[in-house]
Amino acid sequence: MPRDLKQIAFILEEFAVPSPAQQLLDRFLLGYPRDGRFYQPEDCQVTAYLAPGASDVELKRRMGDFGLKLAASVDEAVAKADATVVVWRGAGATADDRTLRLVLEKARAGTACFVRGNLASGMNAARAVMELAGSRKIDILAGGSLGVTWRLPEIEMPAQVVLKEALIVVQGAAPEAEFEGLDGLFPFIEGRRGGETGVRRIGCLAGADVWQAGKDREWSWPLLAAAISRSDSPQGDPEKDGRTQDLAGLGLVPKLAHAPRAWLLEHNDGLRSSILVLDGVVADANVAIRTDKGDVFSTQLYRPPPPGQHEFSRLAERAEAFFRSGRAPWPVTRGGLIAGLLEARGAALKAAGKWVRLPKRAF
Amino acid sequence: MKTGSGANELWTRRQFAASLALAAGGIAIGGGRPLMGMAAGAAPASESRKKVALIATEVQKYSHAQHFVDRLLEGYGWQGEWHQPPIELAGLYVDQFPEGDLARERAERHKVRIYPSIAEALTLGGSKLAVDGVLIIGEHGKYPKNEKGQTLYPRYKWFKEVVKVFESSGRAVPVFNDKHLSTSWPEALEMVEDSRRLGFAFLAGSSLPVTWRIPAVELPVGCPLTESVSLCYGGVDSYDFHGLETAQCMSERRAGGETGVKSVHAVKGDKVWQLLSARETTRALFLAALARSHTLGAPIGYTYAMPAFELVRQASPDTVAYFIEHLDGFQTSMFLLNGTTTAVAGADQRTRNALFAGRAVRDFTYAGRLKSDETVSCKMHLPMPPWYATLADFFNPLMNHIEHTVVERRAPYPIERTLLTTGMLASAMDSLFRGTPVPTPELKVAYQPAVESQFWRA
Repeated sequence: MPRDLKQIAFILEEFAVPSPAQQLLDRFLLGYPRDGRFYQPEDCQVTAYLAPGASDVELKRRMGDFGLKLAASVDEAVAKADATVVVWRGAGATADDRTLRLVLEKARAGTACFVRGNLASGMNAARAVMELAGSRKIDILAGGSLGVTWRLPEIEMPAQVVLKEALIVVQGAAPEAEFEGLDGLFPFIEGRRGGETGVRRIGCLAGADVWQAGKDREWSWPLLAAAISRSDSPQGDPEKDGRTQDLAGLGLVPKLAHAPRAWLLEHNDGLRSSILVLDGVVADANVAIRTDKGDVFSTQLYRPPPPGQHEFSRLAERAEAFFRSGRAPWPVTRGGLIAGLLEARGAALKAAGKWVRLPKRAF
Repeated sequence: MKTGSGANELWTRRQFAASLALAAGGIAIGGGRPLMGMAAGAAPASESRKKVALIATEVQKYSHAQHFVDRLLEGYGWQGEWHQPPIELAGLYVDQFPEGDLARERAERHKVRIYPSIAEALTLGGSKLAVDGVLIIGEHGKYPKNEKGQTLYPRYKWFKEVVKVFESSGRAVPVFNDKHLSTSWPEALEMVEDSRRLGFAFLAGSSLPVTWRIPAVELPVGCPLTESVSLCYGGVDSYDFHGLETAQCMSERRAGGETGVKSVHAVKGDKVWQLLSARETTRALFLAALARSHTLGAPIGYTYAMPAFELVRQASPDTVAYFIEHLDGFQTSMFLLNGTTTAVAGADQRTRNALFAGRAVRDFTYAGRLKSDETVSCKMHLPMPPWYATLADFFNPLMNHIEHTVVERRAPYPIERTLLTTGMLASAMDSLFRGTPVPTPELKVAYQPAVESQFWRA
């Protein structure tokens, strides 16, 4: 339902400069570039609660500069808020179910809540969160900035398209990189014909097994080649002397990759999704998708440079529109599925490269 | 790869509204056809590939010639594939071999001969022209400056040597000239007249008009545009050219097309802000362009800032502005938001970081005003290595256009754009030197733009 946004509460685990918490809070406090102008939410009081033990130096700076209010507890922060933003530490892969439950219990009915990062620690926890939010008539949504950032090129998948394979290349430590992989990939695939059907089995690979799986067609080398053809940051010789280089075609990818990881997903409708974590190969996030007709779509998920990181401007815009309209820009069930998959990944890791069948998912 | 529509547009209200919607929201555009025709993928067999000669000032990491040479030799990412150009680098002429030279390593590894003269690079050591295209990359390297501070790259001199080979061979082939044609208007005009006289395709200019735009906005040809503003960084007689081409590739699409330039007034420092204070619409466009920047500097404790004149003024005390009045009353203003004139090519990482630090912005943005008072704005995306990328991939679409020009023997966009921006830049340097506005009766360069969009979006 449409709502005024007079007060917004931030529930934070950390507040460093820069950090996702700072980037997102500052968008609501200072404003942000949007649609070719600098946009400032009008008459919106921002209140923040910071978890004990985290440095509040930068929050105090904002109290002086922009009138930020600090709350002593979650209860106090959300008591009068029309909307709440919960920001987990770092990339946001690890959710604190207890804190989110507290937010949903204490927030006023009819408000909205956006979780920057993973919705919950697992599938059951995600269900519980959504049920609690529903019972309190609180609109809830979760996600990260990779799913909403600019695309080069600006592609959208055709409506009702039938997809066969999807792949994303990301970098970083687990499980943050894996979360970003899902966050970046789902917006492309969930609108396929029949919608998202859930995932029936997953596999986690590392090291040389990643390349063997590629040879065995468990993931697609052509899609990897298409994805990294979009990269502006190939590593190795390009970094040394500026040359362009066909990393995939010249067989350089396995040589460049440091401790590669692959997370393979088979959806219930047969779609295969692959998250390849390839440190040392490229330093940006790139996607490639193949349809049943053989068409390949590929794009770079463009993250503007630090310190501005204006992908957070895009995320703030989506979150604010969600708060004001009550309409979710993507389904909250995406967050539930991501939570469930990240949880299941733990079991798949123990299976040492074998496919792990998942229990039938409700999402 | 799928790409958006927007090509072959003639002005209609509906199309223009769609264009503005794209500008406003960055909404994705749907499927279509590849943008620039030249498909990605493997190159034709060597014997069927057209041969080109590349004439360079120097080839070292991140020099312009390195970007072109490597794209010709190694290929580049294009439309979701690795693309091997359908043209073959057959001959090289390199003027300077500084420490860190890469020309010899590239030539040896790819079996391309470096010839001792331009004529021999074009004739491949024979007596007649033996290539199907010529690339003149006269940027970077150590060359003298004149009293106005213009670097005297030998583009005109080399072009004339190329023309001499064409004349003696009785045939001419397409030529690409990187960046502005010359520091001198008469020389630039002569270059264009030579191309007309001998009837060869002549492509020139910057990568800014053809790189990604964020959002991917295009102005329909014939749109009611009344003023353009571009913001950029870098030095005079260097990145200012890119700023001018950023504006001109949009301005030329206004109703009636380009009519030429009446006067240029270049100013620096406080004078910029004094002149700007009296120009209300220019001020609004300045802020609109600034709002498209992803690199606007921030105060301590913050990571970005609200666009504001005082912020820019403090961060860029040496701001340079070119105020350009066109013959039809159209206005272009270009702001170079810092004063360094040092090129990054060949510099070590520490030097590069120092050159990049403390700039008000580090990207190229555009804002244009329509008769209806609406504003169209975007960022011309320049993922500049080594800060944001390892590759200067904004050269990919320019390289692709060069391939088209050689293969089809037709330039995809008019040389008059770069002739005019060359004249604007030369006049701006003159104005800065004299400290007064410069009337430009010689810049009556009227032309129509290419109807089809030329920027990278596929």
